[in-house]
Amino acid sequence: MEFKDYYQILGVEADADTPDIKSAYRKLARKYHPDLNPEKDAEDRFKEVAEAWEVLKDKERRAEYDELRRYGGRPQNDFEPPPGWRSSASGESPNFSGDFSEFFSSMFGGGFAQGGAGPRAQGFRGQDIEIEMPVFLEETISDVSKPISYELPVMESGQLRRSKKSLKVKIPAGVGDGERIRLRGQGAPGQGDAPPGDLYLHIRLVPHPVFDVEGHNLLVTVPIAPWEAALGAKVTVPTLDGKIHLTVAPKSQSGQKLRVKGKGLTSKIGKGDLYAVLKVVMPDSTSPDVEALWQELAQKAAFDPRTEWGNKGGGKS
Amino acid sequence: MSTTMIRVTVKELCEREGVSHDALLEVIQHEIAEPLEGSCVDDWCFDVTSAHWVKRALRLQRDLEIDWIAVAMLIDLLREREALDRENQALRQRLERFLTAGEG
Repeated sequence: MEFKDYYQILGVEADADTPDIKSAYRKLARKYHPDLNPEKDAEDRFKEVAEAWEVLKDKERRAEYDELRRYGGRPQNDFEPPPGWRSSASGESPNFSGDFSEFFSSMFGGGFAQGGAGPRAQGFRGQDIEIEMPVFLEETISDVSKPISYELPVMESGQLRRSKKSLKVKIPAGVGDGERIRLRGQGAPGQGDAPPGDLYLHIRLVPHPVFDVEGHNLLVTVPIAPWEAALGAKVTVPTLDGKIHLTVAPKSQSGQKLRVKGKGLTSKIGKGDLYAVLKVVMPDSTSPDVEALWQELAQKAAFDPRTEWGNKGGGKS
Repeated sequence: MSTTMIRVTVKELCEREGVSHDALLEVIQHEIAEPLEGSCVDDWCFDVTSAHWVKRALRLQRDLEIDWIAVAMLIDLLREREALDRENQALRQRLERFLTAGEG
């Protein structure tokens, strides 16, 4: 097994005093704590740091570790404690509050890491797993059953490996972005007869090609021609479950919202609304005839949209 | 088909996560999470999202060795960041839709 240099892990000298070690630990814990740092290797880094602190904060454990360090010296892959080595610092039934390495266990006893930053609960219950669950907007209208597959950490003959698991889950109607749901017993298996952990699904609504979400309301951007904005129009607008007809009033503005009651997302507090947001779009190309009509319109309308800026006539320059 | 659950009981939190009643009381007193129902500690339960924050708060308090006021502030900020990240993503998407020429 690999010898762990706890001083190096915490970035302190071997003769550092406890307050300095504590300060180094806190700095690194803040940086790598998996609840603060979402990066992939942060959790492993944090576990190392926490293990180093667990040993070095305790006088007796630190003294024993120092002794072993003199014996085992440098980081290497074939470290074994001296024959007959037995820790006196951990007592008969060690009860450490973290997930520690094989190296730690060889010194101070206790089972070693199953992964996860949480405490090892009594009886080595399996670790809870949280995964992101992408859900399409259409799937939130009613209860839907979805297949998922994820990886579980499994201990086999002292080795940690990953095993794939697949199951079908019922996603209740009206789930919202960021919500979490729980599947009892679908986390990592427990050790021996201990129960498995739970699986937590973190719901993420998949960005929709047409609709945007605002709370439990939906927004749909409706492109309209300039003359539709000017004269009004009847347009067909998609909703999550079919199409509806909307009347665009004459003299409508870009960005104006039209509310369609009850055509939003389903939620615990009822159905949301759909807002059609108007967006005036210019045609890509125009013929000379149309160009002439625009010219005529520009002269007749005599409209300056920038009067607020107070630069009279600025719009025409 | 696996059954989805929307609650976590205090008993489960205490037994499985090794959480003490005292720590849970601190979490509630500092308004990190609010239990859904129950008149005494043992009857309390949390919705799954609150339970997630309870567990995060307990881990941070233990691992960073900070007091409960700091934990409560940290959790508030983390929650806010998660909500802002979501809002930011949604607004960016809307803006892009509005600025892109043509359909949608």
